[in-house]
Amino acid sequence: MKYEAVIGLEIHVQLNAATKLFCDCPNRPGDEPNRNTCPVCLWLPGALPKLSREALEKASLACLALNCTIQPESAFDQKVYYYPDLPKGFQLSQHHKPLARNGWIDIVGEDEKIKRLRIHHIHMEEDVAKLVHEMEGRTPISLVDFNRAGTPLIEIVSEPDMRSPYDAMEYVKALRTQLRYTGSADCSMEQGTLRVDANISLRPFGTDELNTKVEVKNMNSIRNVGDAIAYEIVRQSECLDRGEPIVLHTRLWDPEKRVTMPMRGKFSGPCVPDPSVAMIVVTDDWLKDIRRRLPEMPGRKAERFSKEYGLTHEEASNMSQEREISEFFEESARQGIPPRKAASWITTHLVPALRDRDVTITETPLTSGRFARLLAILETGVINAHAAKEVLLQLLASDRSPDEIVETGKYRQVSDNSELEAIVDKILADHPSDVDDFRGGNAKVMGFLMGLAMKASGGKANPRLLKEIFTKRLG
Amino acid sequence: MKTAPDIFTYKNTSQQEPAKGGLLAGKRVAIQPNMCARGWLTDAGSRALEGFIALEDATVVARLRGAGAQLAGSARMGELGFGLKGDTGAQAVAAGEADIALFTDTMGEARVAAAAYGLFAFKASFGVISRFGLAGLVPSMESWGVVARGPEDIIAVMRAVAGKDGSDPSMPDEEPPDLSDIGSRPVKGRTAGVIKECLDGLGVEEMRLFQAGLERLEKADLTVKEVSLKDFGLFRAVHNVIGSVEASSSAGKYDGVRYGHRAASAKNWNEMYLNTRGESFGTLIKEYLFQGAYFQFEDYRAFENACRIRGRLVRGMAIAMENIDVLVLPTRRLAHDAAGASTVKETYDAFSLTLYANVAGQPSLHVPSFARGPEGDMGIQLTVPRLADARLLSVGMELSSTAQGAERK
Repeated sequence: MKYEAVIGLEIHVQLNAATKLFCDCPNRPGDEPNRNTCPVCLWLPGALPKLSREALEKASLACLALNCTIQPESAFDQKVYYYPDLPKGFQLSQHHKPLARNGWIDIVGEDEKIKRLRIHHIHMEEDVAKLVHEMEGRTPISLVDFNRAGTPLIEIVSEPDMRSPYDAMEYVKALRTQLRYTGSADCSMEQGTLRVDANISLRPFGTDELNTKVEVKNMNSIRNVGDAIAYEIVRQSECLDRGEPIVLHTRLWDPEKRVTMPMRGKFSGPCVPDPSVAMIVVTDDWLKDIRRRLPEMPGRKAERFSKEYGLTHEEASNMSQEREISEFFEESARQGIPPRKAASWITTHLVPALRDRDVTITETPLTSGRFARLLAILETGVINAHAAKEVLLQLLASDRSPDEIVETGKYRQVSDNSELEAIVDKILADHPSDVDDFRGGNAKVMGFLMGLAMKASGGKANPRLLKEIFTKRLG
Repeated sequence: MKTAPDIFTYKNTSQQEPAKGGLLAGKRVAIQPNMCARGWLTDAGSRALEGFIALEDATVVARLRGAGAQLAGSARMGELGFGLKGDTGAQAVAAGEADIALFTDTMGEARVAAAAYGLFAFKASFGVISRFGLAGLVPSMESWGVVARGPEDIIAVMRAVAGKDGSDPSMPDEEPPDLSDIGSRPVKGRTAGVIKECLDGLGVEEMRLFQAGLERLEKADLTVKEVSLKDFGLFRAVHNVIGSVEASSSAGKYDGVRYGHRAASAKNWNEMYLNTRGESFGTLIKEYLFQGAYFQFEDYRAFENACRIRGRLVRGMAIAMENIDVLVLPTRRLAHDAAGASTVKETYDAFSLTLYANVAGQPSLHVPSFARGPEGDMGIQLTVPRLADARLLSVGMELSSTAQGAERK
């Protein structure tokens, strides 16, 4: 039988608020173990939780960015279960009254059409402590690090609107883009600040049944989300074809073996309203203020970039995916660089260089002013594109001006006709068969010859002049 | 009568002089070991907190110190504040070891303890005193209780400790009661209502004592009227279900991982957890925690129903009080001994007349000697709507002279 997958995602996102959700401890789980703790997050007798305003604001921004409706009233519940990573025997989470409901996010579907994926709700909750199991000689010991206990999370629960691994991956990407824009969260799957659990069930094509689902956890990259779902669809199809029923349970993705394996039976404790954390009552003024703080989001920004700067659809989309890049682009364009040129340089040279170095723009000394100056020098013909790329790489590492780098690094391009003619003549003499080839009608040879000449000039030849000389000689 | 070493689980021997000239200057206050006082053993009467030393003062303790009170020590208390088994707070006052005893009033502990020693007791409205630094058990119902020889000391304590506290965000955002002019002029409204359903099940002798108490009220120029709250009997069930659920959650933190007793040996963390909790709690509190866990895990519907009925009871109280100024009830059943209760049922039997105020968040004042017979003092307690604490204490001031008259007889 042919099956259709029904996929819903539950995504935990760590907010990058300065403090934990209910106390003033720094929100830095990676510090020396148990350094960031206090009576509240250790839940010592007599402690009372105090909701962080910043966490609430960042969570609300995230909700607005995902087109959710902030609820007039939301409240915390105690999710009761007993585990050493949970200092009070329950986790504070918003079960009955979540912060926001009814959101959506658009992706470009596999059929190239816009597909709207709905979000059921978003709630706030606190993270748990980290457990480390070790051996002390031959005795197994369990260590608890409470640095992470109480750090602020939001959980984004989708509707089961996804039908394929592709949908799920695009959903996670789109959601990550939106959330990063708000500045509320870093959203790194690799570092665990964005964690995806997938609920997958199958049904015969053409029906609208909602069948027993299986939950899959432990995917640490977007690609693994896709692979785990794809694996699970095949596994469940085979089960159904063999006539085996699907049983509600949780599985772990094994990134080494690339399979999902069953884990402990899913335990769901009760959720009891917490009497100590005050109910969150949202006023219109407060909501207006949060709305004002929401930046221009990527969809709208891309439209504006197309209109204002004449970018193509693809360029505009590239320039607006990340907030830092979009702001860098716009600042550069405002300094008189042709916008499409700026966009092209950012996409083809700057972004890959940042990726290689694993940094963001603001972590480098590069400013839009120096970037614009570099492209202006390129425009004047003092350096060629090859040299400009070299200079750009240097701008990422030092705060010298582009002009200074061009001069001291001897990046000025050679625009001296006689010097270039000598290079061209030598190459033509060394490669008679290629010359014949070109004259025989193979135009591609020109590129090969140009490359040789550029190399001979140490990358500094003015490519326009070079081409003119070749054309004249071979004409 | 017990001597000091039996009364106090921690006796303050610090030579530090209390602040001078405050509202409570010269007053010795006994607290309980579930109220944090910096450097003091704070074990809430339970092995689960064995050896836990408070890191900072509870807001109430800090305010008491600031008002010049001398902290006498921590009296013994029922495990985790549930009931009065083993409690010595009222004894501390009766024996002259302290002038004032502070209680956690979860189901009527302060009022019932005071009744056994001829003392006054007051339970404040929910939310007017900070719970910061209180290792409590039932957060939505517990309130601070004050036991003293007369209302003057209670009023002084209330003036010193009540009011907003940034460390307790669970306090409702509202104007706290104005306690400044209590007793400065005669109480205006003088109609006292008796909920007839609260008398269901009282014995003949108990009825006689309570009637005598009402007559004394009339002599003090109050008009006594009968009112009805059909569901009064449900307060107990609602308190039991919600109270045990909250207790189960509150006690979830006592796992031996960070402090308190830890089981000596275990194969793995899970066994350590189970053994620790098994060894840490006494049988009475264990029974209560089991009840709460049952409602949480097996019968959540019962909890939801209890929450709904609680809302109805709060409204019912408001309606019952519409045309009267103060409600009057007996404080305790003479047939049930709170200090001797060793099961949850016996404990609830002993507090069946006081726990309404904890469910509804209302203030309640126990007045001694009004309903005293050869078998003991049943006590009367008065209550008014939440936040009307000042009015209730004013009535208490007027009645205290009558109470003293009754004492002398």
